[in-house]
This record gives sequence, structure tokens and C-alpha cells, in this order.
Amino acid sequence: MAYTTFNRNEFDTFAQPMFFGEQVNVARYDQQKHKIFENLIEKQLSFFWRPEEVDLTNDRKDFLDLPEHEQHIFVSNLKYQTLLDSVQGRSPNVAFLPVVSLPELETWIETWSFSETIHSRSYTHIVRNIVPNPATIFDDITRNEFITRRAISVTQYYDSFIELSTWHQQLGEGTHVVNGKTIEVSKRELKRRLYLTMMSVNVLEAIRFYVSFACSFAFAERAKMEGNAKIIKLIARDEALHLTGTQHILQIMARGKDDPEFAEIAEECRADAIEIFRDAAQQEKEWAEYLFKDGSMIGLNKDILCQYVEYITNQRIAALGFDPLFETRSNPLPWINSWLNSDNVQVAPQESEISSYLVGAIDSEINTDDLGDFDL
Amino acid sequence: MSNTNSRQSTPTGDAQEQPPHLNLHDDEFQLDGDASEQPQFDLEPAEAEADSDDERQGQLYLPENDPEKPEPTPQLELDGMSPPIYLVTLDDGREATFQHANSLLESLEAQNIDVQYQCREGYCGSCRARLLKGDVHYTEEPLAWVDDDEILLCCCIPRGPIQLQLID
Repeated sequence: MAYTTFNRNEFDTFAQPMFFGEQVNVARYDQQKHKIFENLIEKQLSFFWRPEEVDLTNDRKDFLDLPEHEQHIFVSNLKYQTLLDSVQGRSPNVAFLPVVSLPELETWIETWSFSETIHSRSYTHIVRNIVPNPATIFDDITRNEFITRRAISVTQYYDSFIELSTWHQQLGEGTHVVNGKTIEVSKRELKRRLYLTMMSVNVLEAIRFYVSFACSFAFAERAKMEGNAKIIKLIARDEALHLTGTQHILQIMARGKDDPEFAEIAEECRADAIEIFRDAAQQEKEWAEYLFKDGSMIGLNKDILCQYVEYITNQRIAALGFDPLFETRSNPLPWINSWLNSDNVQVAPQESEISSYLVGAIDSEINTDDLGDFDL
Repeated sequence: MSNTNSRQSTPTGDAQEQPPHLNLHDDEFQLDGDASEQPQFDLEPAEAEADSDDERQGQLYLPENDPEKPEPTPQLELDGMSPPIYLVTLDDGREATFQHANSLLESLEAQNIDVQYQCREGYCGSCRARLLKGDVHYTEEPLAWVDDDEILLCCCIPRGPIQLQLID
């Protein structure tokens, strides 16, 4: 099945599955098989924001005042988030767009990916503010073994799906010999890899971001790095929406709503899916240990962060209809919800630091000379 | 203008010591007039900041007023009718009543039933609950995935007495 940018076939949209049906031709939204994706697009567009709207001048001062081990926590999280959003800003487009069959889902994937590029841009905005040379932070992302180790499990599913999908586009199903290598291409295996990729993306947005979200918000609870927390809050809001998107895709697949074969695959892959969740939780706990290796920060330590990872893993896996993996039942960081609550997201971020607004707006310095021509 | 003049007083009680040019505009501005009765703003907030997580939770993200108390001055009169009261029972035996709140989530919180939540806007799905009996009306279409037997507490209200199972 070669890829074409404009499919000339006539077909019934409502008869198409989400993936591996007819390739999309007209980007029309009058007929929608899964209206939810249209709703997600509209919500995501209404969330639009730009990193430059958030003032980070106070963060530079805060960062310099942080003790060294807290700077390590802050910078490490920033690096890891940069990696995650680099992956997410690119991979959904490369992996899913060639195989998608519904215009509303195609546009959702593009809108979703686009918002990740805003997140990436905001990390550069943050890094420029806290260090003189941003390269010292960005260059370390591909060198730091604690980050690259996790990068592998984030990207392996994407890569293995994209590889097979490319062969499928070029050669079709069957057994092929390319450059002396035998390649087995089957629709079933392709669908299996797509399902697992979607599951790993779900885990990425459901669990992997939350350790660094927790740290950013813990800094801001102490009135440190507040501009950064404001940006992270906007990112967290977007990520919650993306998570909802992948949950819908996975549930539509698992129920075989438009492709019964996916229901079988989802059943077959139950154990793999649970393993993806368990691995992610384990890696995030190891990351927490790395973060706090030189000391904890006020309000947060390794143990409590690990409990939070367990709590959030339970929540996310239950949303997909699996049994919880861990004993932790209650949220060990209840204050975090105030940062994840959309009511608390500032609509006009430039007005958020009201105290500094007042400081700049009123000239409170008085010199005796100013009163010189007063006459009583 | 007589009103302003009658309030005029000086610390010394001797109006003649005032430079004449001040009198020209004394109905507009007085340098040494009465201090206004109330300071315009407080430097310190009236309420001390919360210490415990529970208090902070209440301050930060729960509605300021009790959502299950009727508004003192409702904008919409219901011809003497008050909204119906519906019984909300949980599978573990706890009970609450729904009458005035904007959503089931607010109502349960106001009656000290802890519910998981995050976005409170229908897209994160944290407040999913299983609906065992009864029927609900969505005030906003939920974006999050909800199963056929589940509801999203943050954007619905009951249509009648209901029974719920909280998911945690």
C-alpha cells in the first residue's frame, strides 16, 4: 500500500477505521466518525499559549539563589522534559499520519504534535533565562546516561512501528528480501506494533511527565521559580488533554469499535501493556532517586515522589480498564491538584505576578528634594 | 460646597494661619483635612496564610462558598420553587444530598466526601465514578473517556436519586 498525499478513491468515511483504512483525501469535517477528536481539536486550540507571555525575570534570580542540589533537580527535570517533548513534537506525525484514515483524527494528531512544539520552545525560553549559555544544558541531553536510558524505552516502540510501517508502504505485505535481509511484513504485526506504540505514548503523557511536574510545582509552593511553574502548568493542562486523546484511541481500539482485529490485538497485548506501565513507573522511581541523590528539596523527597508515581500509575492504568498495579491508594501530594486544576490557570499570564506589577507601577522612592517647593 | 466647608478643620483650630491660595480650592482638596475613614487597602491580608495542606487545599481550589447552600440573592427567581433535593448514595453507605451545587463533584466535596479530581472541566477524567442507579444530566459534554456505566462528576448533575461507586 503505497502512500499517496491525495487518495483519488471514493469511499464512505463512516466505513473507515481509525487506522489502515483508505488514506485520507479531503480534509473535511462535515462527516465525522468519531466526533470526540473534533472536540479535542477545539479544546486544544482554545488552550493556545506562547512561552514569551510568561515573564521569567524573577526566575533567573531564584535559580542563582538555589542550593546546588536543587539546581540539579531543576535542570535535570528540564532536560528530561525537553527530551520527552522533542519526541512528542515529531513522532506522532511521522508514525501515525501515514496510516490514519479519518480526517478528524489526522487533524487531531497534527494539533496535538504542534502543541508539543510549543512546549519545546518554552524550554528554550526557560533555559535562556537561567543560564548564560543554553548549550551547557541542551548538549547534555544526549550525553547524560540517566536521560538516554529512559529515552530508549520512550522511543523503541515508535521506532519499531515506523520501521515496519515504512516497509509496508514500500513493499506491501509478504516476505521480502532487501539488501540480503529477510523482512516479514504482516498487517497483523503492524497493528500490534501500532497498539503498543499508542500504549507507550499514553504512558509517556500519563506518568513520565508527572515527576518533573511535581518538582516544578514544589519549587513554586515555596515561591521559587514561579514563572517556570506557570509555564509547566500550561504544559500540564495540554498534556492532560493529549492523554485523553490517546485514552480514546486505545479504548476505541480495545473495543473493536471500528476494527475488530484491534480488539483481539488489545486482548493479546494485555500483559505487554501492563509491562509498559510497570517499566515506566520503575524508571520514574529510579529517576526520582537520581534527582535527589545529593539531597532532597523542601516539601519533596524520593519516597514521597515514588508514592506519587505509584498513585498516578494506578489512576492511569485504571482509566484503560486494567487493575491497579500498586498498593498506594491516596494522593501523597494533594496540593499538586491546585496546580493541575484548569480553574487556576491564568487566562492572562502577563498579569499573574501582581506583586511585581505593583512594584514596577508605583515609584515608591521619595527624596527630600522632591518636597523642596512645598510651602505650608 | 457647604458640606465640604463644614468638615474643614485644622490641628491648631486656627483657620487664618492657612496660606490664602489654599482656600481657593479648598472644596476640592485639603492638605490637612480629615483622614478618610477607611484605609483603601491592607498591606497584610486579613486572613493568615494556610499552614496545613488541607487548609491550603480549601483556599486554593475549592469554591469559596458552600456550593450546597443556596445563594442569598439568586439572579433567577424560580417562582417560590426551590430546586428539588436528590439523594446521592454511595456503595459504601455514605449519603449526600444534591440541591444547589453546580456539579455533583462540588456537592460531594461540600459534604465532606473526598473525590479524585484534576481539571474540573471534563477533559482529564480523574473524577470518573460508576453510576449504579439513576440518571445524570451533563451540563457540559465530557471530553474524557467515560465507560458506558461511568459518569464524570465535575460536569454533571443528577436527574433523580442516584447511587454511585467512587473509583480510586
